[in-house]
Formats: sequence, C-alpha cells, structure tokens
Amino acid sequence: MPPRKPRSTSFLRISQFLYLFLTVLLFYLLILSRTGETQTVWQVLHPAFVPTLFVTTYLLLTIIFTSEKTTNKLFFIMIHSILIHSLFSIIFPAGDLSGQQMILGRTRRVFDNTILHGFSGWPTATIQVFIVELFIGTNLQAALSTIFARTLSIDILYVHLFFIPVLWGMFIPVASFLTAKVMGLGEKASVLSSLLVSAFPYTIYFGAISVPNSLGFIFFFYSLYLMLRHLSTSDSRTTHWMLIFSFFSFLSHYLTGIMSFSLLFLTLAFKVYEGEKKPSPINARILLMVSFVVCVSLLPLSFIYMRFIVSNSQAVFTLDKFYELPFQEIIGLFFLGELVHGFDLKTILLVIVGPALAFLWMIYQLYRLKRNLNDKFRIHICFLFTAFLIILVDYRILKLFMSGLPLNEERLWVFNDFIAAPFVALAIYEVVSSIKAFLKARSPPTLSIATLKAIRERSKALSKGDIFRVVGLFFSGLLFTVGVLSPLFLAGWMTASLSASYPQVAPLQTTWYELEAVKYIEENTHEKYVVIGDIWTIFAGERIVGINNPKAYYFGEYSKIGHDLFVNMSRDPSPQWMLWSMNYTNTKVAYFIVTEPRLGTEEFNGILSKAKESGLQVYGRPEGFGNGKLYVFSYGEE
Amino acid sequence: MNRLEKLIVLDQRFLFTLTSYFLILAIYINLNALKSPAIGAVVFVLYFLINGIFLGHAFFDKEEAFFRLMFGVLSLIMLLGFVGWVVMMIYNLDATESALVLFITATLSSLLNGRMKHKNAT
Repeated sequence: MPPRKPRSTSFLRISQFLYLFLTVLLFYLLILSRTGETQTVWQVLHPAFVPTLFVTTYLLLTIIFTSEKTTNKLFFIMIHSILIHSLFSIIFPAGDLSGQQMILGRTRRVFDNTILHGFSGWPTATIQVFIVELFIGTNLQAALSTIFARTLSIDILYVHLFFIPVLWGMFIPVASFLTAKVMGLGEKASVLSSLLVSAFPYTIYFGAISVPNSLGFIFFFYSLYLMLRHLSTSDSRTTHWMLIFSFFSFLSHYLTGIMSFSLLFLTLAFKVYEGEKKPSPINARILLMVSFVVCVSLLPLSFIYMRFIVSNSQAVFTLDKFYELPFQEIIGLFFLGELVHGFDLKTILLVIVGPALAFLWMIYQLYRLKRNLNDKFRIHICFLFTAFLIILVDYRILKLFMSGLPLNEERLWVFNDFIAAPFVALAIYEVVSSIKAFLKARSPPTLSIATLKAIRERSKALSKGDIFRVVGLFFSGLLFTVGVLSPLFLAGWMTASLSASYPQVAPLQTTWYELEAVKYIEENTHEKYVVIGDIWTIFAGERIVGINNPKAYYFGEYSKIGHDLFVNMSRDPSPQWMLWSMNYTNTKVAYFIVTEPRLGTEEFNGILSKAKESGLQVYGRPEGFGNGKLYVFSYGEE
Repeated sequence: MNRLEKLIVLDQRFLFTLTSYFLILAIYINLNALKSPAIGAVVFVLYFLINGIFLGHAFFDKEEAFFRLMFGVLSLIMLLGFVGWVVMMIYNLDATESALVLFITATLSSLLNGRMKHKNAT
C-alpha cells in the first residue's frame, strides 16, 4: 500500500492550485478592464479585481507561512509581483501617460531604425554633452527593449509596456529575499520580505512604468545586496559584482548610479571601520562620521555639478522655500515631504507606515545589538541604518534647500522602501511569532470537541482543572485568531497599498481615437509630414512613429516651438502656421489635430468652425475620428 | 532542473553553444520572413535558458540552483544590454545588428562557461 500523503500537504497543494487559478482570473479581469478612453485605472477596473486580489494575497501569505520549498514560494511571489505591476500596461492602450511614453517615443526610433548612434535628446554642442548622451539611461533601455522585441518578433510597444513590470516582478522580490537573508533573517521572514517589498505605494508605481529610473532601481537593489555581502566576506567575486551592478545602475539612470556610488563609499568606510575599531576606536568613528557627511553630500552636489555639463539642469541651493512658505508647511515638508500637498490621510498612512515601522525596528535592533557587540549581523544593521539615514537627510536637503532639480525628490523614497522591506518583514514576523509563542505556552496541547462538551456540561460547577481548560481554550482561540488575522491584516495592507500606488486623479490617458488618427496619418501619407498638436497628441505619436522623426515629425513634449504652433493654430487655424511648420521641419505635408475631451466642447467647436472657414481640409474621415471627438486637418502635398 | 543544468553546463562538443547559434539563426529568419511571435517566444526562452545557465555557472556557481539561474539571467540581460548599447552607439540596432549582439553575447557566455569548466577540472 502506498504511503498516504499528510493532510497538510494536500491542503498546501489545494491552496497553491487555488492561488494559481485566482492569479489567472486576476489577469483575465485586467484584460476585461482594458479600455481606450479613461483617466485612471480605478475608473474602469473590474469590480471583482480588488476583492479577488485580497483573497489571492491572503492565500499567498498562508502559503508563505507553510513549510513549502522557498523557491516555490518565491516563484508564486514573482507571479503576484508581475500582476500588481501590470495594471497600467494591460488596462491602458499605451501605458501610463507619463515619462514611460516619452521613453517609448525614443525607443521607437531605435526600433524603427530611423535614428543612428542611439537617441540624442539635444544637439551635441560640447564633448561633455556627448559623454552625457552616451550614458543616458534611455539608450541602455532602448537597446535592451529593441533586442527583446526583435528576438520575440513583436512590436516594440508590447516589449516596452511589460519591460519593467516583468523584470521588476522577477528580480525585485529575489533581491529583497537575498538582502533579508544576508541580514540574518530566517527563511520565512526573508520570503515575507520579498512579498512586502510590494506593499510600498511609490515602489509599486515605479515597478509599473517602463522608465530608465526603474531599471536603475533593479540594479541598485542588487548592488545593495552585494554591498551587504561584501561587509561580511572578502570574496573578490562579490566585490567585482558589487561594482558591476553599481555601474549598470549608473548606466540606467544617474540617480540610482549616484546613490549606488554613495553607498559603495559607505561600504568601504564600514569595511575600514571594522578593521580599525579595535586598534583606534576614535579614528574609526571619525572616519565613519566623515564618510556619512561625504555620502550625504554626494547626491545634492552632483545635481549642482550637472549644471556645468547638461544645459537643462538648473539645480541650485536656496533658502527661498523658508522665506516663501508658511512655517507649518515647512514643518509638514520636513516630516512628510510631498505628502503634505493634497494627499488624503489613507494615502499618507500607507506611504509612511512601512518606512516608519522599519525605522523604529532598526533602532530597536541597534539597541538590542548594543548588548551583543559580537553579533555577526550587527555591521549589516548599522550599515542599513546609516544608508536609510543618508537617504532621509538627502530627501530633506533636496526638498527644502534646493530648487530647479531635474526630477522629483520623491524618487528617493524607493531606495528607503528597499531598505525598509526586510525590517518590516522582521518586525512583523518577530511580533507575530512572539505572540504565537506566548499563546502556545498557555494553550493545552490538544483540545478535542469532547473536552469542549464536557466543559459546557459542567460549566455550572467548574473544578480547578476545568478552569485551567477554559483559560487554555481562550488562549487557543487567541492563537487561532492571530494565525488567521495576521495574514488577513497583511493582505489588507498590500491591497490597500495598491490603491495608493496607482493615481486616483489623472488626465485623460492616450485614447483609442488619438492612436487611430495618428496611425491613419502614418499609413496614408507617403511624403514627409509634420503634426501640430497638443502634448497628448505628441504622446500618441510617440507610440506609433517616435519623437522628432524627420519623416513623421512630432515636436518634443516640451518643445516651445511645438507648443507655440499649437497655441497659434488654436487661435487662428490658418494655413500660414502649417506652412511655417513645414518649412521649419523640411516636410511636405502638415497636419493639425484637435481633440474635444482635451480642449473642451466650446473651444473645440470654435476651432473647428474657424478652421473650416479658413479653408483647411478635414483629413481622413469627414465625420472625424472617435465619433467626432477628434478632427485632423491637412495642408500641403499628399 | 539540476540534471538539465548539468547537461547544459557540460556543453559537450559545444552542443549547447551551437544550439544557441542555431537559435540566433532562427530568430533572424523569424524576424525577416516568418514574423511569428510564437516561434519568437520559444527561441527567446531557450536562448535565455541556455545562456543564463552558462553565465550563472560561470559567475555564481556557489549559489543555490534557483538563485544561480536568476543571477545568470540577470547577468545575461546586463551583457545583452551592454553589447547592444555599444553596437547601437557605433551604428544602430537593425535585424542584422541585433543578431550580431545575440551572437556576441552567446559566444561570450559560452567562453565564460568553458573557462569555469576548465577551472573546475584542473
């Protein structure tokens, strides 16, 4: 007779099967939610998605706390991570209306072979600019996306949309797991850390958009893991890979690169400190403090130095905010950063709860390790705490003492979230384990239904033993409640974080009729052409023909000429501006696109009647695209 | 999985290196003639599996199998990105240049795996 499978294994298999089934269902619900005209994912998301996600996450958490193989658990977490980072890519026809579409516009040019030597964002005036252009992250991402698209033989759009969600989903949970492991966390707590890295709203957002900064974050997290490993080993291979990952994080994006180099410096300082702390403890401490100051100043100073290299950087140190803003707002900015500006309490709590819990737990860990100076993981905790502090201080410097930065300072939160995830996992795991151990010690080893009945029957005259049993029953009940409630609470937290990570308010995303019009122009124009349109039209154009394409010219997103042309055309829709744009871009045909939902009905109708009066021809469909929501006017040879 | 990994890492008579080259040829033909995403997906997975295992073995042989594969795939992505970036900067990344990038990466992965194999043997 074959040996019977233990019941727990069967339950585990059923849970896993159910989990996979629900994940497939969730992807299906996302596909059902796909739309060509919406502002946010929340307006069109299938009503069953959030409850199903909650149940799926709960199941995943129960699987995590079983004795299943770690690799299987990580595999399930990867699927979960890819799912929650794919909302933009599946629901919107061109992904989120943000930087990722600008990157797509540049990658499209590389994919369509309409550009040589990579994408240059501005004319190479000096050797410094040429070097910067070489290293801008757009080029690395464009090269990778293009190679993937050619290997898969699919359009660049699909590779671009899923590039970061898939890479993030695959590699960030693993990096979080490895970081937790190298800090000395147990297997289950480390797996929990790999899941909890998806509980931080801003981190989820960056994992959902395909921009070079997100690619840089992935490499940064691995360099952080290798830095921690480097602290406890002298293996040369670890050192080499730590440097390689830091270099790639720089190649992807300067922000992640600078942070990597900053923490690399800190790693070396900690390494020296470890060697020096016994022979000369004062020198070692001074070295550590100086290193801290250097690491903190690296990022702000690099923004200042960027002004000498890149013309579009205007970063300066300033006290303007202290003079201009009210005192309460300064205090708010200091503690909460950008969250003081119009975010609701739920979002604020969801954004700060993880890092705040991690920060408190770090302090608690440091306090605990004070009594155990020889703990081999002490240096890791100290290093991560210092790194966390560096990022906290840097954020405040950028937010309060600088202006004209080329990016929003909140991106620094992602670094802190990466560091926070293992500590949050550790805190939750230790607290739940302690409560469970406490309750277990006070519960009877077995509690049968018969015992319960006996207690009920004899409840009128309880003996000493019965009282003991009742108390035991109470603790067993609590134990069961903690066992059920803790995954419920975590699943609830993670699901709620999702609502804070995808914007609740946004402009109308690229619509199906904008894409249709742009595609129609591209397919039916055989001469070089230029398109005059608002920034939303440019985003749609980026998806189809890319940006600044000499054969199908769309002005840059922030091009003043492009903007002025559109404003002039809106006020006076006459052929003169179209002729001017054709001469300027050396093209034979000019198109002017107006869209009703972007302009408002009154302005839209006004432009339409003026354009028709001035003799401009309606192009493509006389009734307009999207049931009359979008009109294209043309001028020139076709 | 472990047996498959051992088989690929051994790369007897360069069987898997040659398979990689064959896959690149298949990618090139698919890209220019067939244009089938299904074929593309299969060759993509096989190419990543073989070369990811090569690189995982070359650089992360002390890790557990799962993490070795993950690191191998990540380092393959980095290598592809770097070679692609260099080729793109020199000229562009059309179908032929992309195949060249895949070829250079596969050759480097095979050489690194061979070096590690040789190191282990001596």
